[in-house]
Amino acid sequence: MEEKLSREELLHVADLARIKLTEEEIEKYQVQLKKLLEDVEKINEVKGYDDEILIACWDDNTKLRKDEEGVMLDPKQVIENAPHHAGNYIEVPVVIGESEGA
Amino acid sequence: MKYLNKGISEIHELLKSKRIKPIDLVEEAFDNIESNKDLNAYITLNKESAIQQAKELENKEVDNILFGLPIAVKDNICTNGLRTTCGSHILENFIPIYDATIVEKIKEKNMIIIGKTNMDEFAMGSSSRTSYFGAPKNPWNKEKICGGSSGGSAATIAARDLLFAIGSDTGGSIRQPASYTGIVGLKPTYGRISRYGLVAFASSLDQMGPMTKNVYENAVLLNALVGKDPKDLTSANKEEEDFTRFIGQDIKGMKIAVPNFLMGDIVTDVVKEKIKDTIKILEKNGAMVDYVDVKYLEHAMTLYQIIAMGEASSNLARFDGIRYGFQAENVKNIEDVYLETRGQGFGEEVKRRIMVGSYLLSGENAKIYYNKALSIRDDMRKEFKKVFENYDLIIGPTTVSTAYDLTDPMDDPRKSFMDDVLVIPVNMAGLPGMNIPVGFDKNHMPIGMQIIGNSFEEAKMYQLASFIEKELNLDLTPGGER
Repeated sequence: MEEKLSREELLHVADLARIKLTEEEIEKYQVQLKKLLEDVEKINEVKGYDDEILIACWDDNTKLRKDEEGVMLDPKQVIENAPHHAGNYIEVPVVIGESEGA
Repeated sequence: MKYLNKGISEIHELLKSKRIKPIDLVEEAFDNIESNKDLNAYITLNKESAIQQAKELENKEVDNILFGLPIAVKDNICTNGLRTTCGSHILENFIPIYDATIVEKIKEKNMIIIGKTNMDEFAMGSSSRTSYFGAPKNPWNKEKICGGSSGGSAATIAARDLLFAIGSDTGGSIRQPASYTGIVGLKPTYGRISRYGLVAFASSLDQMGPMTKNVYENAVLLNALVGKDPKDLTSANKEEEDFTRFIGQDIKGMKIAVPNFLMGDIVTDVVKEKIKDTIKILEKNGAMVDYVDVKYLEHAMTLYQIIAMGEASSNLARFDGIRYGFQAENVKNIEDVYLETRGQGFGEEVKRRIMVGSYLLSGENAKIYYNKALSIRDDMRKEFKKVFENYDLIIGPTTVSTAYDLTDPMDDPRKSFMDDVLVIPVNMAGLPGMNIPVGFDKNHMPIGMQIIGNSFEEAKMYQLASFIEKELNLDLTPGGER
């Protein structure tokens, strides 16, 4: 078995994760991720369990709370927490299309 | 005059009788933290505001046992107006605009938040060395790790800076550092404490809990933290109870199970011997201890890797550089904001886990890995329940060895999971688990025993823990009693 992921495989998972990697990181993660992905394959060795899945770890009957108007965070504070903001808006770079130097 | 080396009841009496004021305790805590600065236990101190709060409390009635006492809070728990970094560059300048429910509860008791403790970045790690702010050090030997991810909380308690700290535990992050530093740390039953305001790592596993120097103070703090919260659907609706109520009772007739897996070959002899010595004491005092097989425990680490990394990749998608925290500069479009911010903002371990998690949840993989892990997890939980049909509690070691060197290599991506191999099963089953110190190795580094209870039976765990604490009567202050 290969001891590392191919460059393409690694770049694919980095893209899924929306993480830009440096060349140095790409080389390191090709090896490291291979090890972790081998680990998780071990789940196929487990036998004898039933198909029921555990979604909640507690026995309570959990109910959604009522959809009622309550105290909300102050929009001004929320906006101010953004790295770039103007008035009541969060500023972001160009969303559709490319714009060099925007 | 020193007060923070005394027990909580004595300090409470001193406050109540006005012989001391909260400001005395706050100043003493900051003095202690200053003299233990090299431990790097804190990311942010809350000095100004803590002093102000202490002064305001002088005019208030001392109405509960936690009144006026300093507390440290792990830095992945939101504190209104107080920086909360999660040990990460991406949140280096993040100041929350609301309090976590646990923080509201701390404030309701008029406890005073002293600072935010150092931790592995986003609680991912087992030695606190993935912190962007540098690793905290073990007060027993400053060349050793203090474990993780709640390493700063463990270090500040072990060093006796103050009485109380909060940690969080997704796969052992309270119990494991508690073991390495010789303190008492409890991960309550999943749902006991509202997770609202805890920066999510793996939502189906995360739980916060108290870290203290002794069992009684741990139970007293837990009393204040629990309860149903409309802001956390997964918080449990349980009747109020006093977690100290069985403390001091004997353990005659108590039935205790030791899973063979927890005493297997992976555990070092020195740890195993200490656990066996403790078991002998329990048996001598009328407890019945049996070794049992618990199915699926050997697979817990694999399940944890899948569930924790999967959920982390989803939870950490929120760090996009747009709404809060760090944003990379010189980007051309919004896609680049995401890619560059996350590439530059997250550290090595976090990026590794997000990438694996993204892969595990992508397309059909979710069925192949995540759903399968949830199935096996359900069976593991049922296996634990079967044990609790015949036994009151489960015990075993907390860690396979004592704390290792800060300089040990960090390039093995499996290492951080291996360190937690004995503590992970508890999170898988949502059970309560705790660490209680039971001795030292030949270099005088602490060894911990893990106590695991049935769901919502923390009071019974405190009963056994307090019995062990009293019987062993260890000197757990690094460098001896002050």
